[in-house]
Amino acid sequence: MQLFLLAIVTGIMVGSIYALVALGWCLIYKCSGVLNLAMGELTLIGAYVCLTFYTWGVPFILALVFTMVIGIILGFLTEHFFLRKLIGEPILTVIMVTVGLSFFFRGVVELIWGTDTRVFLPPVFPMKPIVWGPVIIGQVYLWSFIAAIILLIAFVSFFKYTRWGLSMQACADDEMAALSLGVSAKFVYAMAWAIAFMAAGVGGTLLGNINGLNISVGYLGLLVLPAVVLGGLNSVPGAIVGGIIIGILQNLSGAYLDQYFPGGVKEIAPFAFMVIVLLFLPYGLWGWERIERV
Amino acid sequence: MSWLPCGIYHEYYKQDHRWWQTRFVWGKMILLFIVVYYLFPQYAGLYWIGVANIIGYTVLGAMGVQLLIGYCGQITLGHAAFIAVGAYVCALGMLMFHLPYIVSLLIAAFAAGIWSVLFGLPSAKVKGFYLIMTTMAAQFITVDFILTQYVSRIGGRGVAFSLPPGTIKVGPLVIDNDVRVYYLMVVLVTLCTLAMANLLRSRVGRAWIAIRDNDIAAEALGVNIVKYKLLAFFVAGVLGGVAGAFWISNLAALSPEHFMWSWSLWLVGVILIGGVGSIHGIFFGSMFMVLVLEALKFAIVPLAPIFPQLQMKFLFLKEAAFGLAICLFLIYEPNGMAYRWWQIKNYFNLWPFSY
Repeated sequence: MQLFLLAIVTGIMVGSIYALVALGWCLIYKCSGVLNLAMGELTLIGAYVCLTFYTWGVPFILALVFTMVIGIILGFLTEHFFLRKLIGEPILTVIMVTVGLSFFFRGVVELIWGTDTRVFLPPVFPMKPIVWGPVIIGQVYLWSFIAAIILLIAFVSFFKYTRWGLSMQACADDEMAALSLGVSAKFVYAMAWAIAFMAAGVGGTLLGNINGLNISVGYLGLLVLPAVVLGGLNSVPGAIVGGIIIGILQNLSGAYLDQYFPGGVKEIAPFAFMVIVLLFLPYGLWGWERIERV
Repeated sequence: MSWLPCGIYHEYYKQDHRWWQTRFVWGKMILLFIVVYYLFPQYAGLYWIGVANIIGYTVLGAMGVQLLIGYCGQITLGHAAFIAVGAYVCALGMLMFHLPYIVSLLIAAFAAGIWSVLFGLPSAKVKGFYLIMTTMAAQFITVDFILTQYVSRIGGRGVAFSLPPGTIKVGPLVIDNDVRVYYLMVVLVTLCTLAMANLLRSRVGRAWIAIRDNDIAAEALGVNIVKYKLLAFFVAGVLGGVAGAFWISNLAALSPEHFMWSWSLWLVGVILIGGVGSIHGIFFGSMFMVLVLEALKFAIVPLAPIFPQLQMKFLFLKEAAFGLAICLFLIYEPNGMAYRWWQIKNYFNLWPFSY
């Protein structure tokens, strides 16, 4: 029972980070129709930028803000130099450009920061675990959870209440109508990439705080794919719920299945789960159902 | 019979479908065969033969990807899994059951085909992005889980199968040096290319192309979509299995690290750079990718004394360059090198009156 509770609680907390990254992914897909396979590398870049600021002695919160600013700049640049030229190209081309970007970003990250595992020193969050009845949990998880939730709320209210957010929603809903009403599609695409970079950067930083930071954080960023598939590709609430469910599932399979299939069950379970979801629920929880003969 | 294929009019379909339609093309192809089978291994030197082996492996691997993506329209990002299955089945067949290499290779190709069909099954229900996801899952489940955690441990071998020299024999001939590997590679590449090219102009190939262009129309024309999609996965898996079974002849030890996800992506990058939907494209793409890396290596040697870190970080530089190359090719040359080749050829065919 304790194991179960622990897995659930840890799962929710890690899952909220996945939800944050998945939100960024979903945004790009909704606004511009690009299926982004470079999300893992976006988390990597953000995490390393934040680490660099932190090791320079910038306070953590400020470092996080700087990371987000740099994320916005990188997002604008990426969109301008690579994605804007691909509007209207076939799906494989766009996907492969994001794959190319992922190789490029990973190569650059490894060139600059190397492949050794780095940790945030001194530790950002206190090491003392928190005890809630039977559940014992590290403070890192709790603070990550809180940070992820705050950001999620911030992003969602950005979409709901600001002019830019509303123009993005309009563009995602019906691009032609939005264009005719004076929404700049280019700006919306750039904004979507900027927000994705921001969200991924914060997500990567939080993940890096939990286990230390190396290239495998990029692999964790890849876990957003099962999350968004589960939630339905173009649903923001779906991405959030999907992220949390994938987090829980991952921890549960780590806790229970590991003794039967030793080794990498924890990493594989989300993908195996994804295949099953695709077979029975191809549009996820809240995705738009396009009925199509295959 | 003229020298150039310009201005030839066919009277029968048979003539129209021939690969090599004029004496000139025949001469060109015979010259190519002489170069590939005799002159190159004779005069190129061991280093370049080693490079050619890598190119050949890339060609064999990319062939299945080209078939799936370029001819059947089923995007796959997990082809390294099937190559890995081929390599492992072949190695197991030789090490544990002491089968001859050729028999083992055939079994490996068949096993990889079946494995590929297994992961192609979702293609009956999903397409596009969702299919990409399932092929990615195939990669992670096969290589990172089954091969790494279970198959690698068969026989207490730890994480890697060692392949002692002299394991791989074709008849009495031991494949133990680069020149022999080269000949094995050339024969396999020739056979696979012939098989694929002829398959593509048969009924099966036309059905695949119909599915790629418009699956609903293809079904209306009486193509059994599920059957042909699965057949495409099977053939692609077989080609991948051949690639894997070939590659172990070039290795001293077989470990899952040779078949990571990045290798799948690399193969897709190869066909995109070479040209989707073209057999030439496989060769152009493979040569381009491998030779660019060689060029990078040579470029780094004189720079090494100035930036000593560069040599250490070559691997990362390679990754970044590869990613950038894919992006730039897709943005500025979306039809790939095969299209450019076709244009150049046409220019000379119509020269000097190109109207």
